Amino acid sequence: MDKLASLLHTTPATAWMVAKLVIVFGGVFSLAAVWTWVERRGAAMIQDRIGPNRAALFGKIKIIGLAQPLADGIKFFFKEDLVPHDANKGLFWLAPFLALVPALMGFAVIPFGRSFVSGGQEYHLALLDPGNGMGLLYPLAIGGMAVYGVLVAAWSSNNKWAILGGMRSSATMVSYEIGMSLAVVAIFMTAGGYDPSEVIKAQGHLPWAWNIVRQPLGFIVFFACMFAETNRLPFDFAEGESEIVAGFNTEYGSMKFSLLALSEYCHMMTASALMATLYFGGWQVPFVQDPSVMLSVASFLVKMLFFAWVYVWIRWTLPRFRYDQLMHLGWKAMLPMSMVNLVFHAWRMSQGH
Amino acid sequence: MGVVVKKVELNWLDRTYVWPVMKGMGITIRHFFRQIFTPSAKRFTIQYPDMKKEMPAGYRGLHELKRFEDGAIKCVACFMCQEACPARCISIEAEEFSDLTFTQGFEEKRPAKFTIDMLRCIYCGMCEEACPKDAIWLRKDYEVAAYDRLSMQFGKWDLMNTYTEADGKERISQDPTPSVPRRTIAM
Repeated sequence: MDKLASLLHTTPATAWMVAKLVIVFGGVFSLAAVWTWVERRGAAMIQDRIGPNRAALFGKIKIIGLAQPLADGIKFFFKEDLVPHDANKGLFWLAPFLALVPALMGFAVIPFGRSFVSGGQEYHLALLDPGNGMGLLYPLAIGGMAVYGVLVAAWSSNNKWAILGGMRSSATMVSYEIGMSLAVVAIFMTAGGYDPSEVIKAQGHLPWAWNIVRQPLGFIVFFACMFAETNRLPFDFAEGESEIVAGFNTEYGSMKFSLLALSEYCHMMTASALMATLYFGGWQVPFVQDPSVMLSVASFLVKMLFFAWVYVWIRWTLPRFRYDQLMHLGWKAMLPMSMVNLVFHAWRMSQGH
Repeated sequence: MGVVVKKVELNWLDRTYVWPVMKGMGITIRHFFRQIFTPSAKRFTIQYPDMKKEMPAGYRGLHELKRFEDGAIKCVACFMCQEACPARCISIEAEEFSDLTFTQGFEEKRPAKFTIDMLRCIYCGMCEEACPKDAIWLRKDYEVAAYDRLSMQFGKWDLMNTYTEADGKERISQDPTPSVPRRTIAM
């Protein structure tokens, strides 16, 4: 790292920051792109089909269709970029970025491996070092920003179907955020801090000490709310082919559409990382007291990708909810459940556990 | 009209949603792994240009004009198929080809031109039914396509050579000189 920094005429801290930025944002972005393929292939396998397996590099190297995201990207890039006549042009252009940026930014505090010391300096495998004062409140706040992406995209395209989709999905996101936040508050209480490293340290390396075992109710609430937050099935109310043409992205095409679609997958990755951090011990390796750095990164990746796969898995298992059922579930089931969870853990802590 | 609405009483376990969702996920993951571990030859999907479906017996595909062992066409240009064809896609021109008479056991008539317009053909198999000589068969090929309309007009030699590769026969492009009587006539 020092050598690289001196080559680039920067300080090691700056070089490390840039390297982390590239790894985290590039990694999440490309994982999201790959996940579009995983989604289609997984759906096909679940439905006893085969899925996209024909896209090939240079027409020869097929690698089970992994070139599909690349081909899709190239196709989207070269398509005509239409802006509807009566759309609000500025916001119409801004909306995909408003959707994408919060989805990527949420990842910044999540440690994706254990910190290590090299050359007398401590390196943290997270964009923002622990002790920044925001901790896990930051991804929750940024997750709230994601509503703007959907809503601005819907409103600016001046299309009634789009605005129907945008309105109801923003209502979903806002109402599920409360249940989700209350579930996370219980974790903050038991861990004794906001910081993800503290949350992970509190969980330890033993699987039965992880929050999934300690707070199963909180996990169920958080898990369900994350589906609503990321606008995935069974709560995908931003879209709906059968009801509102396409949804909030009706008027979008070409690169702007693909950014909107990618933002959903980036959001999914961030949500999976959050789930792994909060409930499954983050980078902790089961039964290993002091894992090596690579092992901890691998452990985190496995957990995160498992949850990303669960998103796909759930999507092709469950039918969609009706809108009123969704609101019923959010306000009358999720919110009381997370409150019960919170009060129960507060009571336990007052008993000295 | 009455519709019987079946009321389902959910027990407490089903009302939590969590257990039914997990059951459903079990079903989907079972399908997922079964499909992943099935070799692609055994999957339902036939990946068309790479894999082709073997057509069942009795399938009516591309036509073949049958020939005798020496390569002479079996067709006697009786025009039965042309008459039977509902799509009117067959057109035949007959010719006399032998000085030897019928009484000596030679066919004396054969098609000079036998054209099937594949764009019009509906693969109904009526020509096959109508043929008194079993000279035209509809067989298993189904990839009849071309880049222009003219090459969809299959002539006599195209039709006689349609299945030469599948059957391991020689391609022929001219009528052999008849040497052997086709049938013995009880005189």
